[in-house]
Amino acid sequence: MTEKKALLLVGSPRGIEQSTSGRLGGRLLDALKGRGFETDKLHVHAAVRSPDALASALAAVAAADLVILSLPLYVDSFPAPVIAFLEKVAERRTGASSAGTGRAGLFLLIQCGFPESEQNATALAIAERFAAEVGWRWLGGLALGGVETYGGSAHEVLDLIGKALAEGRSAPDLAVKKAIPAWLYRVGGNIMWRRMAKKNGVAGKLRARPYEGESTG
Amino acid sequence: MNAVVLDGFRGSEGQGILAVLADALAQAGYATEVIALREKTIAPCLGCFGCWIKTPGECVIDDDGRAVARAAVRSDLLVYVTPVTFGGFSSELKKAVDRFIPNISPFFARVQGETHHQRRYRRCPSLIGLGVLPQPNREAEAIFKTLVEHNALNWRSPRTAAAVVALDGTSDVAAIARGLIEAVAR
Repeated sequence: MTEKKALLLVGSPRGIEQSTSGRLGGRLLDALKGRGFETDKLHVHAAVRSPDALASALAAVAAADLVILSLPLYVDSFPAPVIAFLEKVAERRTGASSAGTGRAGLFLLIQCGFPESEQNATALAIAERFAAEVGWRWLGGLALGGVETYGGSAHEVLDLIGKALAEGRSAPDLAVKKAIPAWLYRVGGNIMWRRMAKKNGVAGKLRARPYEGESTG
Repeated sequence: MNAVVLDGFRGSEGQGILAVLADALAQAGYATEVIALREKTIAPCLGCFGCWIKTPGECVIDDDGRAVARAAVRSDLLVYVTPVTFGGFSSELKKAVDRFIPNISPFFARVQGETHHQRRYRRCPSLIGLGVLPQPNREAEAIFKTLVEHNALNWRSPRTAAAVVALDGTSDVAAIARGLIEAVAR
C-alpha cells in the first residue's frame, strides 16, 4: 500500500532545526510516522527566496495528502513569507485541473509570544479561510501561548493530534496546560528583556525612541 | 495632521480606490503620503528581537523597512489598504507590518484583559484598515475587521476602524472612506 504524504511547512524565520515551530511540527510528524505516513519538511522562508525553490515547494505541496503549517504568530497573523507562499499555492490552484488524488488536509500549529493562546484566534480563522479558498479540508489547529513555559505537556497533545490526523479525523480540540499564569509570564518576560539588553550593553536604552520626530499634529 | 497610507497591492489594481481614499483624506484635512510597498525593499522579519534588545527601536536590517516604520510612527493616522487575502492582509502589506515591531516596547502590559506590549512612543497613530475583495464575502470581511482591531490593540492605536469594499460595483467607496476617517476623528 502506498503511504500517504504528510508535509510540514515551517513558517519561522529561524528555520526547521532552530525554531520552536520546527521542533513542535517535528514532534507531530513523529506521531504520523509509523501510522501510514511518509513525512517531509520544508522551510517556507527558503521556499519563497528563489523561483526554483518555490517551484519545488509547490510541487511538494501538490503531492501532499496532509499539510501541517507550523509557525509563530506575527502581529495577529502569519509571518509575511508564509502569506506570500500561500498566495502562490492559491494562484496555482486557480484554474488548475483537479487531477490530484484527493483534497489535501490542512492542520495549523501556531504559537504566540503572549501567554494567552486565544490570541491566535484570528490566525486560525485565516488558515481555515485559506483552506476553504483553495478547496482543502480544514482539520483544525493547535494554538499555543507562551510555549516556552509548557515543558513536555505540548508533546502529549501533539501525539494525540497525530493519531487523530493519521486516522483521517479532524484534530481533537485539546487544551495544553499552562505552566504559569499570565501575570507571572509578564513579570518574568520583563525581567528577561532587561537581562538580554544588559548582556548586549543597552540596558539603559530599552525605551529608546529613535523615530520620535517633530510633532505634526 | 498627516496620514500615511500603505498600499499593499501587488500591482496598480488599487489605484482607483487609493485615489478616492486620498481625496477623502484631503477633504478631512490630512496631508497624505501613499507608500507603494511593492516598490520597497523590505526583508522579512528575522524574529531575532534585535529591535528590542540590541538596537532598541530600530530593526537590525538596514533596508526600506526602517523608513516605513519611521513614517508610520510619525503619522497621526496609519491606513492599511490591501486585497483581503484569506481574510487577512496581503503579503505585500504584511512584509511592512511585520517590521513595525521595533515601534513598540518589549515590555509586557495587561491591556483589555490580555497581554500586549507597552508603548514605545508617547503618541501612536490611529489605524484604519481598508480591505478590497472582488465581490462581497461576509466571512472574509469579519476576519479582516477583527485582524485590524487586534493590530490596533498591539500598536496601542488610540482609535481604529476597518471596512471592506467590493470591486463588483456594490460598494460606495467614497462614502466608506469618509466613514472610516470620521470614525477615527478626534
